[in-house]
Amino acid sequence: MVTALATHGAKSRRYKVVHETRYVYSAPVAQGHHFGHLTPRTTPWQQVLDHKLAFEPQPNEVADLDDYFGNHSVRFLINRPHEVMQVCASSTIDVQEQNLDTTLARAPWESALCASFYEVEPLSVAEMRLPSQHVELLPETRHYAHQFFRPERPWLDALLDLTLHIRKDFVYDPKATTVSTPISEVFENKRGVCQDFAHLMLSCLRSLNLPARYVSGYILNEPPPGSEKLLGADASHAWIESWLPGVGWVGFDPTNGKLANHEFITMAWGRDFMDVTPLRGVVLGGGAQKLEVKVSVTRI
Amino acid sequence: MIKTDPPGTPTKTETPAEGNLANAKEPSAPGKEPSAPGKEPSLIASYRACADRYDEMCSAPGVPRAHWQPLFDSLNASTARELNARISAAERHLRDSGVTYNVYDDPEGNDRQWEMDMLPMLIAPDEWRVIETGIAQRARLFNAILADLYGPQTLLKDGLVPSSLVLGHSGFLRNAHGMKLPGEIHLHLYAADLTRSPDGQWWVIADRTQAPSGAGYALENRLIVSQVFPELFRSQNVRHLAQHFATMRDALMYYAPKGDGAPLAVVLTPGPYNETYFEHALIARYLGFRLVEGGDLTVADNKVWLKTIEGPRRVHTIIRRQDDAYCDPLELRADSTLGVGGLMECIRRGNVLVANPPGSGVLEGGALLGYLPRLCEHLLDEALALPSIATWWCGEPVALQSALAQHERLVFKPADPGYPFEPVFGHKLSPQRLAQLRQQIASHPERFVAQELVDVSEAPVLAGRAQQHSFQSRGIGLRVHASIAPSANYVVMPGGLTRVATDADSRIVSMQRGGSSKDTWVLAEGPLDTQFTLLRSTLRSADLVASNGAIASRVAENEFWFGRTCERCESIARLLRAALNAVLQETEDGINNPVFAMATSWGLISEDEMNDACLLTAATMEDESRGLAANLRRLNQIAYQLRDRLSLDHWRAITSLVRDPVFNQQVTLSQCINWLDKTIVGMTTLSGFALDSMTRDTGFRFLSIGRRLERLCFLTRAISVACNEGRDSGLTWLLELCDSVLTYRSRYMAQPEWLPVMDLLIRDPSNPRSVMFQVKGIHDYLGRIEQRHGPCGRELLLPDIELLMSLDLDTEYHPDSARLMQAIDNLHNSCYALSDRLTQQFFNHPGMQNDWGSSW
Repeated sequence: MVTALATHGAKSRRYKVVHETRYVYSAPVAQGHHFGHLTPRTTPWQQVLDHKLAFEPQPNEVADLDDYFGNHSVRFLINRPHEVMQVCASSTIDVQEQNLDTTLARAPWESALCASFYEVEPLSVAEMRLPSQHVELLPETRHYAHQFFRPERPWLDALLDLTLHIRKDFVYDPKATTVSTPISEVFENKRGVCQDFAHLMLSCLRSLNLPARYVSGYILNEPPPGSEKLLGADASHAWIESWLPGVGWVGFDPTNGKLANHEFITMAWGRDFMDVTPLRGVVLGGGAQKLEVKVSVTRI
Repeated sequence: MIKTDPPGTPTKTETPAEGNLANAKEPSAPGKEPSAPGKEPSLIASYRACADRYDEMCSAPGVPRAHWQPLFDSLNASTARELNARISAAERHLRDSGVTYNVYDDPEGNDRQWEMDMLPMLIAPDEWRVIETGIAQRARLFNAILADLYGPQTLLKDGLVPSSLVLGHSGFLRNAHGMKLPGEIHLHLYAADLTRSPDGQWWVIADRTQAPSGAGYALENRLIVSQVFPELFRSQNVRHLAQHFATMRDALMYYAPKGDGAPLAVVLTPGPYNETYFEHALIARYLGFRLVEGGDLTVADNKVWLKTIEGPRRVHTIIRRQDDAYCDPLELRADSTLGVGGLMECIRRGNVLVANPPGSGVLEGGALLGYLPRLCEHLLDEALALPSIATWWCGEPVALQSALAQHERLVFKPADPGYPFEPVFGHKLSPQRLAQLRQQIASHPERFVAQELVDVSEAPVLAGRAQQHSFQSRGIGLRVHASIAPSANYVVMPGGLTRVATDADSRIVSMQRGGSSKDTWVLAEGPLDTQFTLLRSTLRSADLVASNGAIASRVAENEFWFGRTCERCESIARLLRAALNAVLQETEDGINNPVFAMATSWGLISEDEMNDACLLTAATMEDESRGLAANLRRLNQIAYQLRDRLSLDHWRAITSLVRDPVFNQQVTLSQCINWLDKTIVGMTTLSGFALDSMTRDTGFRFLSIGRRLERLCFLTRAISVACNEGRDSGLTWLLELCDSVLTYRSRYMAQPEWLPVMDLLIRDPSNPRSVMFQVKGIHDYLGRIEQRHGPCGRELLLPDIELLMSLDLDTEYHPDSARLMQAIDNLHNSCYALSDRLTQQFFNHPGMQNDWGSSW
């Protein structure tokens, strides 16, 4: 287990990410108002060297805003008829490997619980213990999680175990779910995509009262020769982070059954998908709409 | 006017408590025995209070409290008959003014009449002072709490409020954090639900902080009850409500951001299907604000704009009546069609005042109640003046233990109004149900509160059906409203909505559950300044609203369809009446009468089934979608949308038709003809109202165009049918349909002949039923609209009318003339083209936005 954490030597990696979103409407849209998270955030281990948003058609208004969680969001308004709307986000990003203190991370998992109801902890941690719109706390997820969280078990071992088991027990199947499929259904059918597995794992952890948050971002989709392509690489990816006192937030990817290291480029985090939706909008007119998303992540 | 009984009226006293309770549920005896006029017993004498509750009126059986004495005496002096007369008058008023409260999923449709009890609830001056102080303090406290939660969050960081209480509440909107609010006011409007325990103490059981409703209904109740008891109302020094609304209006304008023209304030309603829509319209009218729906507003340049047919107008103040989550589909609930996309950003930037700002719902649900005393000390440095009913938030483990230990006395409710959970009363629980509840709570304790059950106070209500009324005691609750004032203090409306429980032992008072309500009279100590009305004389010339003020696109559309549908109802009624008369007269033409062809062509009957039963169905049955009843229903719905622009008389005229006993019933031939007569009179009345009482603004023009376009459409079709089918059948039916029989007879004193009939119905510009008259009218109205908005389809009818006028009178005004037929049919089709054009240009909101650049 510990070998997974050994440093690979490379201290920092540079990525070029191009994220294209294209809406094709069956009838002209008179006004389109959009809101989303398309700009990767800067973290202690990640720097955004260059970032550009290109729109088609050019919006009448564009505004940037940092949201409640400190993510960068963008809002734009197109006020003339259009039948296609396209946003292309391109970024150059450096990601360093995080040095996880494995001794600290192997403290009993119970040390991530609150000592008492009245203990005051950072709000950014406290709110990640609670259920949210897409993360219901269910008896079955709690039961599922329990088998990995035996008393006094090291936090890191238990989390990796849970991460690996979700990878093993669930089938990656883009046809099985939609954005609104509840996790109870994902759990029952044992199928879904990265977003479902992230929500599921959040439910497992939060039902044990462990703080855990949803992370959206990218992973390399052109793997080095000889290695296998990671699942969920062709669109934006999602994984989770959980928090341990003294260690902080550590990322786990249940879709690929591994720690989220410097192959993972963080876009934004929140309670669940709803807080970090890449793009949503309100359009007047438009009829039916077709959405195409293309993501390319290359190492440079 | 009111006689008082001689002092010493004997009062019956009944001591056993159980007896009282039982009596209270039985309709009492008076009214059953026939007695001579003037000697009937008073109904109030038999009122029995419930012994283990606080009775608002009586301190002991038959002994009224001091501030109730005058009302009690007056009731004591009135006979059942007098009371009944007053009540019937009030009920008629209530029905006619269309006061409604919609109940979701109501099998009776969404138009339930507002229920109110005629007897007011009285509150003594000293008692009111306690409530007033307490409510104003609570509003201040909640404002301070919101400012902290959506700002520095020190209450959470310091542990004064458990963070999970707020962070786990669906009403805590993260997008609302860091809002720059005008005047830094987080709570403009506030309401609290109060209840009184048997010892006479008032308690707050719930706080309304999102979009408090009820103040408008209180206003309406006042209007009605002050008419039922005019003398009493005047003699009792009842405090007036108008000043409160004026302060509220002033404050909402005072704190509004400035810029982009005269300040514009709106009431944003979820629409006519919302349960309190009536109130939204009423408050809008009372405050002089526009009533708008989400689709009427749009966001640009981080500001909110009202879409009017003259282009966008900046909106400065919004009273919103949708829940937090529905305010902005872009950032909040994406499935909301009730909100305005981008609104949150406008609020965050301080570019619009929204009362209340989204996010205020986090205070609802009751979880905070237990923490309020401490928070009040901490934030205001004052003791909490008005206590909340004992409430345990189950998210706190100690509180949960304590609540479960005494569950028999408590009711368990959702702490988060967004969480679907029906209240569970602890005292009725079976062991299994209790175990289930424990489990439910254990899985998400933070979603529940447990609240002490109060034996709520009771007041007399009039129960029973008409003519058999009796006074009975019912549980009541009081909703009190507060508003911010320009001074940054809160003012409390001296009155409120008293809500009445549905049945004698109900402990839950709720309008959604079908309870009734009362007017609340707060009595003043000194004489009142009665000079005040909301229409003050301090309005300056700048405040005057021009009669040509831009109307919202949706309103213009509704006016247009109101006009069209009125006319359609009238023409259908005339057509059906003519057809039924033809059936009755059994003329030898029989079924060959062209009027049947017209009815078929107009979609009222089908060709295969031409009989009188079909005509009757088309007249009264709603499921005949092109028939009269269906169109009247449509008219009623459109009028509903226009309610803030229609006078009460308009409204009465329409509701009396859809409430008619024959509406949607199978009828006989003669009933049907009566009904058609009545409808035609009703429609004529409506058009009279429009001519006589509507301001000649753009809305009126759209209404008139709609009316004339519909008439032209009908008329051209009728002429076409006459040419095709009616060559040998005489033309009386056509004149009758076009209401031109009298004109024709007075001119020609002869049987109708083709040329004079065609001249009268097509060319005569003075006949309000002629083609020429309609075209000319439409042309003129469009011309007026064109002056402001540029070309809008005036050219569409011109070629057809030119062709028509170019026809040779002697040779071509004849049913065999192909050119006449061509011209009439073209004109008919152009009606639809013009209607589409107007829709595209003025009503279709997206279309309008395309030419914004030019309209600024």
